Amino acid sequence: MAESITLRVTDLIKHYGSVRAVDGVSFSVPTASVFTLLGPNGAGKTTTLEILEGIRRPGGGSIEVFGERRLRIDRAVKERMGVLLQDGNFEPELKVREVIGLFASFFRRSLPIDAVLERVALKEKESALVRTLSGGQRQRLAVGVALVNDPELVFLDEPTTGLDPQARRAMWSLVSELKDSGKTIILTTHYMEEAETLSDHVSIMDHGRVIVDGTPRELTAGLGEETFIEFDGRGLSDVQLASLDARCGAMRSDDDLVSLETADFAGAMDRLISWAKEAGVPLRDITVRQPNLEDVFLSLTGRRLRE
Amino acid sequence: MSGITAVARTYLVTNLRERITLFWFLVFPLFLLTILTLIFGGLGSDLETTFAVGLVNSARANGGPTDFSSMVERAFVHLSSSDSPDRRPLFRLHRPADGEDPRAFLDREKDAVRIGDRALLIEIPAGFNEALLASVGGAGPPAAIAISVSGGRISSEIARSIADQVIAGVNERILTVVGRFDPSQALTVESARVGSNGRDFLYVDFLLPGVVLMAFFTAGLFGVPGTILFGRERKILKRYWVTPLETRRFLAGFSLGHLALCATQFVALYLLGRFAFGARVALLSPLSLAFLALAASVFLAFGFLISSLARTANAAMAIANILNLPMMFLGGLFFPIGELPAILRAVMLANPVTYLADGLRTALGVTTPMVPCAATIAVPVAWAVVCVVVAARRLQWGAEQ
Repeated sequence: MAESITLRVTDLIKHYGSVRAVDGVSFSVPTASVFTLLGPNGAGKTTTLEILEGIRRPGGGSIEVFGERRLRIDRAVKERMGVLLQDGNFEPELKVREVIGLFASFFRRSLPIDAVLERVALKEKESALVRTLSGGQRQRLAVGVALVNDPELVFLDEPTTGLDPQARRAMWSLVSELKDSGKTIILTTHYMEEAETLSDHVSIMDHGRVIVDGTPRELTAGLGEETFIEFDGRGLSDVQLASLDARCGAMRSDDDLVSLETADFAGAMDRLISWAKEAGVPLRDITVRQPNLEDVFLSLTGRRLRE
Repeated sequence: MSGITAVARTYLVTNLRERITLFWFLVFPLFLLTILTLIFGGLGSDLETTFAVGLVNSARANGGPTDFSSMVERAFVHLSSSDSPDRRPLFRLHRPADGEDPRAFLDREKDAVRIGDRALLIEIPAGFNEALLASVGGAGPPAAIAISVSGGRISSEIARSIADQVIAGVNERILTVVGRFDPSQALTVESARVGSNGRDFLYVDFLLPGVVLMAFFTAGLFGVPGTILFGRERKILKRYWVTPLETRRFLAGFSLGHLALCATQFVALYLLGRFAFGARVALLSPLSLAFLALAASVFLAFGFLISSLARTANAAMAIANILNLPMMFLGGLFFPIGELPAILRAVMLANPVTYLADGLRTALGVTTPMVPCAATIAVPVAWAVVCVVVAARRLQWGAEQ
């Protein structure tokens, strides 16, 4: 049986004057999966999402959602989708419960307010004014609002930006739960761990285009049998770095992190240790890892995601 | 609950919870009503004051139908009597005692006028009846009644204008009696009463409708762009546009919420004016309520206009501030507008507030109309239409819909 597709985007275009914010983006999102747009700030992820959310008009291309081709995202589509905006806000003088009730009233069908409050763990904060909430609580409220209509399709635009690690992990488990309950999720992020952990499919965007897509495993497998050996390079002189490069090859050094990429892990470790002994370098915080999506982006663009 | 009422409720609740809007939309109008009534409340009671007036009739009474001097005297005596126990007479007359020398009385009373003990001294001179007869017979100049006033004293000036009208009334009666005047055009003494509908004038009756309009005005010009533009800048509105709520449903709820805010302002001001300051003005009459609804809608439309002209909330506040002073003070909200230089008069005549205030006060019977009745509705409605048309074309909601 062919898997069903909730959303299919073909050649989506959005130009602002000479700026090609979205420049021919295509992807499909299977039902009950997590699809991630990964890319640096300004890559066009949010613009793409805002077209699909119905608050920007596409300059070209086609959108097929819930099995129908649409020229614009109309009220009927919005009834079935939930949105967490990257920069959305709520009236600071409303209470948490009032916010949920307000948004619930916009939909023909909505979940009970208490169910939503419990879902995002804000029951004990229901009488608090929005302006008194912490950043994490606000984000939970925004998630609650996104889920108030029990949507089939959920957009989460940078859901964990600015959250502390604990709140981030809570968001990740929420996304998994949503997927398990059969919802289709479209996520944007510039955290590669997030994309790797959550996604069934990833499209990596840069300069308004999808530069590569696939499952996280497919994407990293494209880099071959490489292994990365990394250590803290603070305090190393240029001469020391040059001798390391001459000895081991394929060395990169930025953010004070020295990174060796190799297909021959054992040989590379031998060479690195003998170099360290001669140069008297302690190899602080040494780690060995397999390639990740960050490396995929780096190998395709020569830049890091968070530059 | 439909989205419209939820949006309306949100507008009302947030404006009443936010301390700044609560102050400007509710506390400040109540405060202004209190302060202005306490300071200027005396304006009305001044006119209720009984004026001390000296009256001497030196003309020889003849008791016949041409005893005009007695007619004048009776008219003033009438003013010094009260037709109801809770109303004070306009004049308290001081007349020569029996057997007192009129000359000595006149001298004494003139001194009293000079130092302010008397507002007026009225003297019907000797030979008045003869002179009047000659005058109406076409054989002489009009007969004169001498009135002494104290220059620059307000009570003196007001009493004099009352006396003038009394004399004009008597004059017409005399002319009617002798067949020289068409009675249908005769003015009566009663029209000289200051105030309205025969009631005494109270400043709070004049002020209360003005403060209600000011409160609506502030809420419309500041509250509407504040909510829309801050909502757009802080991406509060954007959050609505990713739901099935369309802008027209949002607008309906928003407008409903704004009118509910105005109704709240009205109730608070009415209760304060009615029960703290004894206002008797009939603000709850259907005509008055219709006018208030018109005013609230016109200022709402102005709010939309400002929202559409300004790029940012701060720019909108600046525009509202620029419009605030001329529109409010050249609209006659707090004080009657008298003579104005041409340019200010032009502003006044273009100002919808002028028409709303005039129309509302006329509907309430507080003042006589300054502008034609149709204009009190037509001009504000025309402004509202212009505002809505411009806003509909220009207003950005923060989404490409």
